[in-house]
Amino acid sequence: MTAAALTLRGLGKDYGPRTAVHAIDLDVVPGECLGLLGPNGAGKTTTISMACGVTTPTRGTVAIGGIDLAKDPLAAKAKLGLVPQELALYEELSGIQNLRYFGALYDLAGAVLAERIRWALDVVGLADRAGDQVKKYSGGMKRRLNMAAGLLHEPELLVLDEPTVGVDPQSRNHIFETVRALEQRGMTIIYTSHYMEEVEALCDRVAIIDAGAIIATGTVRELVAAHAGKGIALELKGDIDAAMAAAAAYGEVERHEHALRVIPHGALAPLIAAIESTGATIGRIESREANLETAFLALTGKTLRDAS
Amino acid sequence: MIGAAIRKDVQLLLRDRGALVSLFILPVVFMLAFGSMFRFGPSAGKPEPIAIWHVPGDPRGEAIVASLGKAEGFVAQPAASADEVRRLVAAEAVKAGLVIPPAPEKVELVIDLAAPMQVRGPLQGALTGVVMRAMSPIPIDAMPAMVEARSPPGIAKPLAGISSFQVTVPGNAVLFGFFISLTTAMAFVGERRTGTWRRLLAAPVPRWKALLSTLVPYFMVGVCQLAFLFAVGVVGFGMQIAGSVVGLVVLSLAVVYCAVSLGLLFAAIGGSEKQLGGIGSVVLLVMGMLGGCMVPRLVMPAFMKSIGMAVPHSWALEGYYAVLVREGTSLADLAPNVGVLLAFGTAFALLGLALFRFER
Repeated sequence: MTAAALTLRGLGKDYGPRTAVHAIDLDVVPGECLGLLGPNGAGKTTTISMACGVTTPTRGTVAIGGIDLAKDPLAAKAKLGLVPQELALYEELSGIQNLRYFGALYDLAGAVLAERIRWALDVVGLADRAGDQVKKYSGGMKRRLNMAAGLLHEPELLVLDEPTVGVDPQSRNHIFETVRALEQRGMTIIYTSHYMEEVEALCDRVAIIDAGAIIATGTVRELVAAHAGKGIALELKGDIDAAMAAAAAYGEVERHEHALRVIPHGALAPLIAAIESTGATIGRIESREANLETAFLALTGKTLRDAS
Repeated sequence: MIGAAIRKDVQLLLRDRGALVSLFILPVVFMLAFGSMFRFGPSAGKPEPIAIWHVPGDPRGEAIVASLGKAEGFVAQPAASADEVRRLVAAEAVKAGLVIPPAPEKVELVIDLAAPMQVRGPLQGALTGVVMRAMSPIPIDAMPAMVEARSPPGIAKPLAGISSFQVTVPGNAVLFGFFISLTTAMAFVGERRTGTWRRLLAAPVPRWKALLSTLVPYFMVGVCQLAFLFAVGVVGFGMQIAGSVVGLVVLSLAVVYCAVSLGLLFAAIGGSEKQLGGIGSVVLLVMGMLGGCMVPRLVMPAFMKSIGMAVPHSWALEGYYAVLVREGTSLADLAPNVGVLLAFGTAFALLGLALFRFER
């Protein structure tokens, strides 16, 4: 039986009296792309840091490819590649100088290192700019080099933490294609992002984390079916605020100028009656497909979150 | 992996002009400036001019002028009148003057009595000696020697003709050599800020090796820095090494070990690069000052000298002074200085390790 690419059991972290992550259980299947979603401060980065051996957990265990991270950290970490959220690069050095150093961290040297660097640069589309200083790169190029540095040793498990923050559409598209190509090579990927459409497009499975616990896992389709439900858009005339207040008793309501977007808890008739009872008139009703974002909001709520 | 870290940090340093200037160029400028300011010794500096006036043809006056001419380090500068002598001293055109009225009136030593005793004392003593020598009824050279200067047993003979650079080169080498601690600490802070530290912790690298991969490159840079500064001292400023070259090398290795360990402690205490640059620089300058890097500890008051022993700079400087100035100084003679520097370094390292947070 093949070991899970990543196994978390009862994994938790306390910072003094504050619990950042409670006790997470998670299995990542070899070859899958798992999306890890959560609002700011939900515990995503702490979980990833513990899973990568950057942060020591307060409780629980991590196994990478079946190897216990606490018992044999070097062997476990050799299977892992981390692409951090920060641009973890030396800006004063060239792209290739950065990669030579990061490759050496994985005991790559000589011809093997040169070959791995060539491959990683090709994968991220930076072969022609490898000799330039990183500080002369665009934001998208830096992101791609950040990714190349995590790929050099061809890890079994690649952790991408917000890999598309601040990049142009072309670089974002290139990163998408790279992730797909790596998955096709059999690499297991954990992908965290705030962009739901990225996770919908790339990930086989999604885990949603909030308040330091995983609150849902499944495919995008499963999560939407279970937590989002179908929504409708209502174009209104009249007192929109009053209509919104009336509709809130019958579903999740969001206002978009003169329209309300509602995910009804039940049948539509009482909802429409409640809106019309306020004097508002409904100009048009449209059925809207629910998506991962609606499921995410349904699970985590709409209250603003600030990173702790 | 450590080799790759050394290559990476050297590449980074070569692109950091500010760090290069403060580690390699600034100390040379300071050596040159201080060396020129504090010229002393027979081969350095010109004789001190002493304004002098006496009644023309007065034998006592002529004898004193002749005695002044023989005195090492002085040259007579005849003035037109007694008031001219006083005016030259008041205007600081000369440091002192002699007004010699006809006998039996007293010879007037014109000097600023408000000047610090460290400056005024030697000048006043030497000029009094010049006058006494001239007025002695028996030629002093014909008298049996009453005083003979000797170093006490256990202190090796100094080099002949010590130049000011024998003092200013090690003084500035120690002062700026310890600045490698700031560069080291800033490297740690920079690694944390950019996220490369996080990447390092996620790699299959033991934590002790992660720590060494930042300390070792800067230890090597520190060794290169001191080698460069002493080479400039020898080649550029004619500095001599009176004692054991091996002793000089071992002492320098101990200095760099101590400085890099202090860098680990700075990094462990934390703060931003800006805070380190500000507070760290002040701490190092104060340590350098107490240690005698700017003003020789010889001229410091007793309590300052005692405080100075609490900083590694003074032990380093004392060792350098011995090996550069005192003939025959061996590695064994430097053992106490090397030992104390290693003890300081180990204390800094242990405290740094205790406070260092890998996962901050």
